[in-house]
Amino acid sequence: MLGGSGVGKTSLVSRFVSSLFSDKYLTTVGVKVDKKTVAIDSGEMTLMLWDIYGQDEFQTVRDSYLRGASGYLLVADGTRSATLDTATALQQKAESVAGRVPFLLLLNKADLEPDWQVNERALWKLAEQGWHVLKTSAKTGAGVDDAFARLAREMAAV
Amino acid sequence: MANTAAVRSKDPSGSTDTPAEKFAELRTLLVGPEQRQLSALQTSLNDPVAQARAVSRVLPTALELRTNDPHLRRALAPTIEEAISASVRRNPRPLADALFPIIGPAIRKAIATTLSGMLESLNTTLEHSLSWRSLRWRLDARRTGKSFAEIVLLNTLVYRVEQVFLIHRPSGLLLQHLTLSGTSAQDADMVSGMLTAIRDFVQDSFKVSDDEGLQTVKVGELSVWIEQGPHALLAVVVRGTAPAALRGTLQQALEGVQAQYADFLESFDGDAAKFEGARPLLEACLQQQFRARDRPVRRSSMLRILAAILVLALGLWMFLAVRARARWSGYIQALGAEPGIVVVSTDREGWKYVVNGLRDPLARDPASLLPMHNLETDDVVGRWQLYQALHPSLVLARARQLLGPPAGADLEFNDGLLRAVGSAPVEWIEASARIAPVLPGVTRFDATRPIDEARRTLAASIEAAAPLFVKGTTTFTDGGEQIVRDQIARLHSLDALGRVGNLQFTLELIGQADADGVPEANQPLSEQRAARVLGMLQAQRFEHVAIRATGIGSREADPTATEASKQRNRRVSFRVARAAEGR
Repeated sequence: MLGGSGVGKTSLVSRFVSSLFSDKYLTTVGVKVDKKTVAIDSGEMTLMLWDIYGQDEFQTVRDSYLRGASGYLLVADGTRSATLDTATALQQKAESVAGRVPFLLLLNKADLEPDWQVNERALWKLAEQGWHVLKTSAKTGAGVDDAFARLAREMAAV
Repeated sequence: MANTAAVRSKDPSGSTDTPAEKFAELRTLLVGPEQRQLSALQTSLNDPVAQARAVSRVLPTALELRTNDPHLRRALAPTIEEAISASVRRNPRPLADALFPIIGPAIRKAIATTLSGMLESLNTTLEHSLSWRSLRWRLDARRTGKSFAEIVLLNTLVYRVEQVFLIHRPSGLLLQHLTLSGTSAQDADMVSGMLTAIRDFVQDSFKVSDDEGLQTVKVGELSVWIEQGPHALLAVVVRGTAPAALRGTLQQALEGVQAQYADFLESFDGDAAKFEGARPLLEACLQQQFRARDRPVRRSSMLRILAAILVLALGLWMFLAVRARARWSGYIQALGAEPGIVVVSTDREGWKYVVNGLRDPLARDPASLLPMHNLETDDVVGRWQLYQALHPSLVLARARQLLGPPAGADLEFNDGLLRAVGSAPVEWIEASARIAPVLPGVTRFDATRPIDEARRTLAASIEAAAPLFVKGTTTFTDGGEQIVRDQIARLHSLDALGRVGNLQFTLELIGQADADGVPEANQPLSEQRAARVLGMLQAQRFEHVAIRATGIGSREADPTATEASKQRNRRVSFRVARAAEGR
């Protein structure tokens, strides 16, 4: 899980793995590994989820955490447009370290969509570049399972 | 035919062949052999049997040349697997027969290992079940809330490899995970993921090279040892203090995995099942070692138990023997202190005690002392010879038994003197005086007090009796003679008293007359009356009673007395006195 600080990476993992959500925000220190098995067309796939601390002006994601990844989810906060730029930067980094592996861009906090500040045009540009963009809400659970299942299918297809 | 005939023409050589035929012939001459070869080759290619024959000729060589080709292995693996599966489904016997030489020993080894482990566990349990150390450990277990087995393990274990993780180094995914039986393990996938993350964090933070890396993580009594290869990590969880040689074992195992699974590691696609074959290599890492000093105990533990039992038994026997001895000694001492019992010797006859000695018939029964010393009657044989003891209590008891003091009398004994006390009939006094001196232990018999008492009683009774006479005569009134005869009996008793007590008595017979008549007649009458009684008494023989008779006439008579009173004056009175006293 890659993204800026406070975009909801840990919440998405918590929702996906444990079906839990908490409004309390505790910044992730280092990395936390979780596991979840999903059903795909060809059977089942066990996902080892690396929830990495958010990148901001104070800290950057270490290359070692990206190495060996079979796929990744870029997470941005729909209510903060700057997090989309962070996600874009992290994608470049991930591609340079892990290679061309499947990824998705998740615009999180879809439950606050009326307050979103993300530039629609920027999203179009990303889509044109081949990015798959999904809207999710860790709070309501909307789109979360679909996002992970889709990433699993794309990784299985590789 | 027409066309052919139109074409044909004679050449200069005179041949009638057409140009085409000539060309064909030329071609045959030029490339005939090649054409035949091509034809044969085509036939061979089109003929499956010929083709198979050709391939079979080169197939063994080709396989030999591609032995180390992973692509060939991957290509053949599915076919071989399906072939084995089909063979087993059709008839498992051939495969079972083929594997039997391997399966049999493997099964036997597994059973032997399991039994050995069970025996070792049982031995360890037995070792630690009866020792002082085990008792201490049981107290520790109760105090800390841990199980006894855990406490034993903590105290006897040197080290133990509890888990082995084989991890794909680039991705951190778990390839294989082994645990020692009896140990609990967390989710191995997450552990391997976090271990990789931690390792990467350390490497990045401390700027170490890729070849170096985290080698040990220590948490409490657990430590995680990590060995890294080009494509895989081997991490083991160790409890206790393992020797450095363990790292060599880990390196060896990792090298073996790396060698056998290099291709799979390079092209790992997430399928960890391909590394199942690496488990035997990893099992070699599951080592454990206990404290060396425990091993000798195993062999001698039974001996120690036996020795402890023997010591206990010996101690118990000695205690019982000492206690029995003490009881017997106490009993013998009590017998010795008992009057009338003399212990001559003691002995043992089997399980019974024997005591030989002398016993006075009047002494206490020796068997009555047994319960006081916690001895059973059946455990003691007493052989007693009768004798007469001179112990004062027994002398007195014997005197009482033989003399039988009457009510009101008793006997006392001290220093050879047997003394009668109280009051007793003269007959008893006389008999006792006769028998007492012959009693063993009695040197003197003293009956002074009963004698005095008897004397006073007799004297009183004698002096109280007085025969009466007819007026003016020496004839007894009715009953007078009987009174005198009764007096005679009393005097005999008095005489006996004198004999027993070595006393002399005087008996004065005093004749009296009433006041009637003249004194000159009354005086001789009174003397005659006294003489009359004296005459009756003198027929008896008294050695200790001196009798004299006197008359006092009517000196004591009352002249004014009534006839009844006068009658009482016409009597003879008796007066008794001891000779020393004189009255």
